[in-house]
Amino acid sequence: MRMLEVPLQIFRYKAGEQPHYDMFTVQVEETAHVIDAIDKAWAIHDHSLTFRRACHHSSCGSCALRINGVEKLPCITLITNVWDGHSPLRLDPLRNFPIVSDLVVDVSGFFQRLLAANMTITRDAESTLPLTVDELADVVPSEAVELPDNLSRFNRFENCIECGICMSACPTMATDDKFLGPAGLAAIYRACQKTDDPDEKAHLLALAGGEHGAWRCHSAFECMEACPQAVDAAGKIMALRREITANRFKRIRRR
Amino acid sequence: MATHEYPKVRRAGRWFDVRQRNLGMWAYALNRITGIGLVVYLYIHLGVLSLLSRGPGSWDAFISVAHSPFFLTLDVILLAGILIHGLNGLRLALTGFDVGVRRQKALFSALMLVAVAALGVAILKIFGG
Amino acid sequence: MEKPLVQETMENPFAKEPKASWGWLLQVVTGVALLALLGLHFIANHFIAKGGLRDFADVVSYLRNPIILVLEVLFLVVVTTHAMLGVRAIVMDFGLSDRAEKRLSQVLAVIGVLTVGYCLWLTWVIIH
Repeated sequence: MRMLEVPLQIFRYKAGEQPHYDMFTVQVEETAHVIDAIDKAWAIHDHSLTFRRACHHSSCGSCALRINGVEKLPCITLITNVWDGHSPLRLDPLRNFPIVSDLVVDVSGFFQRLLAANMTITRDAESTLPLTVDELADVVPSEAVELPDNLSRFNRFENCIECGICMSACPTMATDDKFLGPAGLAAIYRACQKTDDPDEKAHLLALAGGEHGAWRCHSAFECMEACPQAVDAAGKIMALRREITANRFKRIRRR
Repeated sequence: MATHEYPKVRRAGRWFDVRQRNLGMWAYALNRITGIGLVVYLYIHLGVLSLLSRGPGSWDAFISVAHSPFFLTLDVILLAGILIHGLNGLRLALTGFDVGVRRQKALFSALMLVAVAALGVAILKIFGG
Repeated sequence: MEKPLVQETMENPFAKEPKASWGWLLQVVTGVALLALLGLHFIANHFIAKGGLRDFADVVSYLRNPIILVLEVLFLVVVTTHAMLGVRAIVMDFGLSDRAEKRLSQVLAVIGVLTVGYCLWLTWVIIH
């Protein structure tokens, strides 16, 4: 197995300090992924390097960052696919999120948007657990996790691994703090598809049709290009525009 | 969900930055640049048209200048801006209502080819006489 | 649980507040209309006129044609609207407050009206 000597240029930021780049050279196997190189940089060179990683196979969405300026999941990105063999491999955190430390960003805004769309993870699938969903809610102390009352309304948002890459790539997210973003709007669309309740649908469409909703999109389609799971957020935003407009015609005719 | 440290003005300028961006972002930036150019042109054009209020003397003098190669070159640049903005705008109108979203890149390339072809024909007509 | 992004009231189709989509929809409508109007304006001015440009006398007789006049005024209104909306879209990306956005729309509307008004006056002067 051939070994590679990879120079990494990693963005560093700690509260109260100036952001800067640190250089690390790590030895990895040629079949390694970028996340393996970051692991080594932490393990061998600097334990203060902060980054997120978990599943190593693009289902948790934790590790999202920018490799040479482009949003990617380092756990599925082979080093040989993004490294030219000699220049430093530059690693930056996601755009449009507040930076907590080094490559870790504060993603709470992301989950607030999903919550606004009524799209959060279900526990219905875990029926083999000894506790039921509601019993689990009672067991978990209220300070640790806040669970809303009506748990059965929650749905798993297909395909989306909630990595935040689309939000980083979106140019409108950079300009509008309250923009729901490709992830938020795609979640709203999914929620609209799932619900039978006309009131909830009207509420969701009102949210998507508001000042910081689907109409803010400038059709850059960067979200569609960057998404590792082919969620097609841009398509969902356009579909939402169609839904909102069609809905308006129905209401006018009903008057 | 504020972006780290960057003031709003600098953030808004991000649409300029097409480095490592895909075709859709290029289209977005081009549309904005041509749009700004065309707004500026609109007011220049209206300013020029104001010469008409001063009677045939000033207007006809302008017309004689308007035939010069320098002026015609400017016209070609204007036409390029119009074609890019108009054809890409058509793409935005379509994709904006969920038509052809998945083929947006091909649509952009095809429309820009049409723009180049039309511009070519225009150059021949304008300078060919 | 705090839900800062959720609107408390349902959308009221009878509400006086203009919907957030008005800018975008009007931009598309004026844009598509411009494809035709600009085309006509171009043909009428550069393909029909001798030598591609009109001298003063030609301009006057051109504008005195009522069909042409209607077309040109229509073109003027549509293109000014589209231009103002375009500027609005760009400025809105600077992260304005809701109140500032309203103010922006009003200012641009005034500029648009002034622009159209000026051109109508100019046309009047030329014709007479």
